[in-house]
Amino acid sequence: MKHLKLYHIPIAYMLVYILAILATGMWLFLLSQGLGSSGILQTLMRIANVPEPKSIHNFIEVATPHMFAIGTLIFVVAHFMLFSTKISQRFSLRVSVLLFIVALLNISAYLLIIFGVVVSGWVKLLSLALFVLLFLLLLGMLAFSL
Amino acid sequence: MKFLVTKDLQHSTLLGNLMAGVSVALFFYLSLDVVLHAYVIGSDMESISNTLYGNVEEFIEPILIDSLLLQVHIDLFMSLFSIMIIASIYIRLYSDKSVTKWLVHTLFILGLLAPLFLMVAYFTSIGFVYAWLTSFILGHLLGMGLSLLIVKKLLFK
Repeated sequence: MKHLKLYHIPIAYMLVYILAILATGMWLFLLSQGLGSSGILQTLMRIANVPEPKSIHNFIEVATPHMFAIGTLIFVVAHFMLFSTKISQRFSLRVSVLLFIVALLNISAYLLIIFGVVVSGWVKLLSLALFVLLFLLLLGMLAFSL
Repeated sequence: MKFLVTKDLQHSTLLGNLMAGVSVALFFYLSLDVVLHAYVIGSDMESISNTLYGNVEEFIEPILIDSLLLQVHIDLFMSLFSIMIIASIYIRLYSDKSVTKWLVHTLFILGLLAPLFLMVAYFTSIGFVYAWLTSFILGHLLGMGLSLLIVKKLLFK
């Protein structure tokens, strides 16, 4: 199929778009934690020590669109690995399932803070870092497969 | 997209009609997105400037970075999906044309540059508002044009 080669273009641009979405998403999260009034390191320390208080309403407002958007995004990116001849589908499956789990953990991590299960925000920071790193791994796998 | 690529179009009128349907929907989405941005950011240079930088004489505060960044974050997500769908169907139908590759490149680049220019305009000067307006309008017009070409090819052979 001659036109298959052309499909590399949208997939390659998709990787760039997702990097921009991840970057703006992290920026938004840090802004909500007080990045506007202090530096990045101070903000991260503040999240780890005393994260900004949020209500259930705030949580639902953020979690609802992210459940849809992140779920769809992981599905779309991961399904392109079906075309890959360089990376085994078994490995792609493991990475994508793990990414779905970490994404869910990342979105719901703030619930633990809201309900006072944990006082520190390290759960949120750790799940966010894991989510971003795993997503970058999946994007890297797709870029390598192109 | 895997289905879009592998399913034989000649033997599936359903897939052809589905492609036409989603293209019509995306045509209207892109049109309404222009109207939505005119409401949110502004429809002329004065209102855009008031939104981004505020106006001391009229006691207008500039838009909060959180609100603008959220708009950009959503725009990137929506652009990604709408452009991916249009580009995938367009490639499927017009892969024999040499211009297809460049149209798809242009569509993706304009879709990415528009939100980035908007952020740069917020932090720098009104000069970048022109860059945002140009990339935003051209990107949307190109997307709408490609949607119409898809519908034309599928329904009016």
